[in-house]
Amino acid sequence: MTSDTCVVRLDDVRKEYRDTVALDGVSLEIHTGEAVAVMGPSGCGKSTLLNMIAGLDRPTAGSVRVHGEDLGRLNESRLALFRRHRIGMIFQFFNLLDDLPALDNVALAAQLTGTAAAPARRRALELLDELGIADRRDTYPAALSGGERQRVAVARALMNRPALLLADEPTGALDSRAGEQVMDLLLDLNQIGQTLLIVTHDERLATRCASRVVDLADGRIVRERAINPEVPVGAGDRA
Amino acid sequence: MRAVWRAARAAVRRRRLQTFVVGLVVLLSTTTIMVALVLLDASSAPFERAFAAQSGPHAVAVFDAAKVDGVDLAARRTGVAAAAGPFRLARLQSGQGELFGPRRPLTVVGRADPGGPVDQLDLWQGRWPTGPGEVVLNQPPDANGPPRVTELTLGGRTFTVVGSAFSLSQTADAWVTPDQVAALNPTGVQMLYRFAGDVSTRAAIDADVAAVTSGLPAGALVAARPYLAVKEELAEDIDVFVPLLATFGVLGLVVSVVIVGNVVSGAVVSGFRHIGVLKALGYTPRQVVAVYLIMVLVPAVVGCVVGTILGVLAAQPLLTEGFEGMGLGGGIGAAPWAVAVGLLAVPALVALTAFVPAVRAYRLSAAEAISAGSAPRTGHGVRVQRRLAGARLPRAVSLGLGLPFARPGRTAFTIAAVLLGVTTVTFATGLTDTLNRLTDIDNRVSGQIGVAPSDGTSRVGGPGQPPPPDAVPQTTSRTDAQVEQLLRDLPGAARVAPILGLLVPVLGHTQPVPVTFVRGDIAAMGYQDLLTSGRWMADPDETVVPTEVLLSLGLDVGDRLTLDLDGRRTELTIVGETIDGAPVGSPAAFVDWQVLTALSPDRVVAPAEVYYQVQLVDGADVTAYIKAVRAADPALDAFDRSRVSDFAVIVLSFSTVLALLLSTVAALGVFNTVVLNVHERRRDLGMLKSIGMTPRQVVTMVLTSMALLGMVGGALGIPLGMLAHGRIIPATAAAARSSIPAAALDVWHAPTLALLALAGLVIALLGALVPARRAARLRIAEVLHNE
Repeated sequence: MTSDTCVVRLDDVRKEYRDTVALDGVSLEIHTGEAVAVMGPSGCGKSTLLNMIAGLDRPTAGSVRVHGEDLGRLNESRLALFRRHRIGMIFQFFNLLDDLPALDNVALAAQLTGTAAAPARRRALELLDELGIADRRDTYPAALSGGERQRVAVARALMNRPALLLADEPTGALDSRAGEQVMDLLLDLNQIGQTLLIVTHDERLATRCASRVVDLADGRIVRERAINPEVPVGAGDRA
Repeated sequence: MRAVWRAARAAVRRRRLQTFVVGLVVLLSTTTIMVALVLLDASSAPFERAFAAQSGPHAVAVFDAAKVDGVDLAARRTGVAAAAGPFRLARLQSGQGELFGPRRPLTVVGRADPGGPVDQLDLWQGRWPTGPGEVVLNQPPDANGPPRVTELTLGGRTFTVVGSAFSLSQTADAWVTPDQVAALNPTGVQMLYRFAGDVSTRAAIDADVAAVTSGLPAGALVAARPYLAVKEELAEDIDVFVPLLATFGVLGLVVSVVIVGNVVSGAVVSGFRHIGVLKALGYTPRQVVAVYLIMVLVPAVVGCVVGTILGVLAAQPLLTEGFEGMGLGGGIGAAPWAVAVGLLAVPALVALTAFVPAVRAYRLSAAEAISAGSAPRTGHGVRVQRRLAGARLPRAVSLGLGLPFARPGRTAFTIAAVLLGVTTVTFATGLTDTLNRLTDIDNRVSGQIGVAPSDGTSRVGGPGQPPPPDAVPQTTSRTDAQVEQLLRDLPGAARVAPILGLLVPVLGHTQPVPVTFVRGDIAAMGYQDLLTSGRWMADPDETVVPTEVLLSLGLDVGDRLTLDLDGRRTELTIVGETIDGAPVGSPAAFVDWQVLTALSPDRVVAPAEVYYQVQLVDGADVTAYIKAVRAADPALDAFDRSRVSDFAVIVLSFSTVLALLLSTVAALGVFNTVVLNVHERRRDLGMLKSIGMTPRQVVTMVLTSMALLGMVGGALGIPLGMLAHGRIIPATAAAARSSIPAAALDVWHAPTLALLALAGLVIALLGALVPARRAARLRIAEVLHNE
């Protein structure tokens, strides 16, 4: 694969919080269609790495490029537009708006771009249908199961057809059955070409959904490994 | 207890913004409450306070000097708690034109000093007379008061005015030394009594006077005036302020209580999560309640102490302006009970409003408290949000419109705060417009220039202005008609009206009626704008009468009155009622000069008796005209009369101060609501930003949520303010025995209403802007990571 398929490129990224070094000299590439899992113990810098790539935080040193865009050079508004169009995010605790039903939670992502309500709802319904929860479209988050909520969150993340789907402990708040469903879902998405970056503690999730696992410790990448032959391997795989 | 204190201190430190908001809201609310209470208190009993401060006499008794012995009078103490006197007294005529208004004899009393056990005079300007030829005038301490004179003729002798003193009880018009009064042929002896017994009614005071004067020769007691007479006269002036002060006072109290309640209970509710954590750590429910009470009371106590001080300081100039002009400045200040309310009741209110939600937290389990600490998950506003999600609006706007429905209680409090703020602004705007219109009308009518010829013994200045320092008293050589002609001939003059004030007996009435005889261009000077009913005079047998005079005569428009002067009579028809009289003296009936000529054909009116009102052509220079008058005839004192009335200045001052304070407090209420909403919805905000909501969209969403409340509060507050304006201002005028022309009340026009409609919006947006921008700057990673 050529370098123009590189979705994410981190060059010698360092992030400090007051006296704490969260990331130290991290360089990483993720290519189109890859599914990469970032693993490591608590406090190793996984979430910081994810935040850097999502444009939620800025590096103290080094550069973060996503789709060729140097995120360190973007102001808050440009970063918001970047997230809107390039990134889809899935959180451990779903982060759905409780006063909107599933359909409107999903449609919200498109409506923020200026898409009118009707086409946004049509596209949201398609996604819910693809994810198997179209019948729950009018249900509010409080009445959905954990697995269903995470599916709604995935649908919302996919709403604007992001180049990169970021998942932060996507099965962390789910029981094992719901966790399995979400793993299947992520695997399916990756198999149809969705680039994935998953931050997780869960070795099972990593080995099932990712083609490559990046192990972090004390803010540094200590190991990269290719682990799942079923999962497409990106061009930058260094395994 | 140490654990409670430590946890409370940590909570105060951790929630700096909330602590600041609670402190600031309590500070401003206490300031508002203090201003309101001090004004309400001052307006409730200003006479009593000033009377007590001066040790005013319950009775002012005047004895016939020929029938009593001063030593005997001083020795009489039956029922007397304190007495001053005997002071010898003379009734003397002042020189022509020295004091504005109809000429009248002055009561001149000989006193060695302004102090004493009774009637402690407020010598507010100059010094007490020490020798012959010196006099102190009785005038209320008011910088904008009547024109001041430097010399005065009393009984044909010239006196130098060495000071101004004020006796609330009106025990004299002027004071001289005891030796001086002896030379003025005193006819009476004055005694000032404070009685030990009942002084609540005229009958009781009459009985007290009878007791202390028993055994005196018949006719020795010439007159005894109870203090209640003065009190009733002043009540009319005081009553003007009461409805206005009460309106602002009540608004201030309600807004402050609403906001403090909202802010404090919100602070506790938003801390439920923390309460849950404390419980999980082993704090007992009582300790948790104590932590939260301390947490809100620390900033509240600081805010209320500072607010009390600021409130007292802010109220003082308003009191001084409002009451000193009436001579009621003495003893007026912040009442101890008002200060006690600021220092004790406000923290009590804070504790109470914090206690209610804290008790709710007390009853919740740790887990319930933790889950109750964030935004409501279901229920309120869900249907609204659903509908808005499909609306043809930018999503940030539709999300913002739905936010207030999530917390209906807090939303209601916020709307109430904006509503009351807008009501205050609307009322203050209406009041300002009405007063400005009245001032415009008054200025047009009374202005622009007054000309008072000197009588050869003194000079006069304009209202609140001293006479020209280089002016030497001299008499003009011109006649009244020549002065009028001179004024007409000077460049710039458009209209000239000579005005002569006299007290004229009226058939069927025991007291003479104040009359201003007018001629010249009076009909073209705009007095018609002051009419509240009827029309302006068209014939010499018609008169227009101020409301106050009509009330005192018990007459109305259409009635007739017969003037009886110098043995001749003429009947006049009252064709109009006006809010005020000519710009000099007390309100008086307007009567055509031809009537004076008919009643008193031999009377030669000296120019010094006449006040000449001059209006200039558009664009003419008032100062240049005044200089031209002085240059043309140095015996004519000309001055600029166009100025805002004291009453307008006073009312506008406190209405502006209170409207600003209440608007700020209302905006702080909005600020607090947004802070709480953002705090509770920080997770949602983080998520929205993570999916691409721009900072501008966040600001739009938050501002929209409050703009809606601002518009609702404004829509409800404007009619309330208009209602208050329509009811309270006429009541104020009625209390002043006056009335307001319809034109001055007709202030609600589209541009004003449009601006007022923006007031609620502005209050809401100003209150929401800072926290909205803070919300836009929320660090997504931090917010979402804290979950």
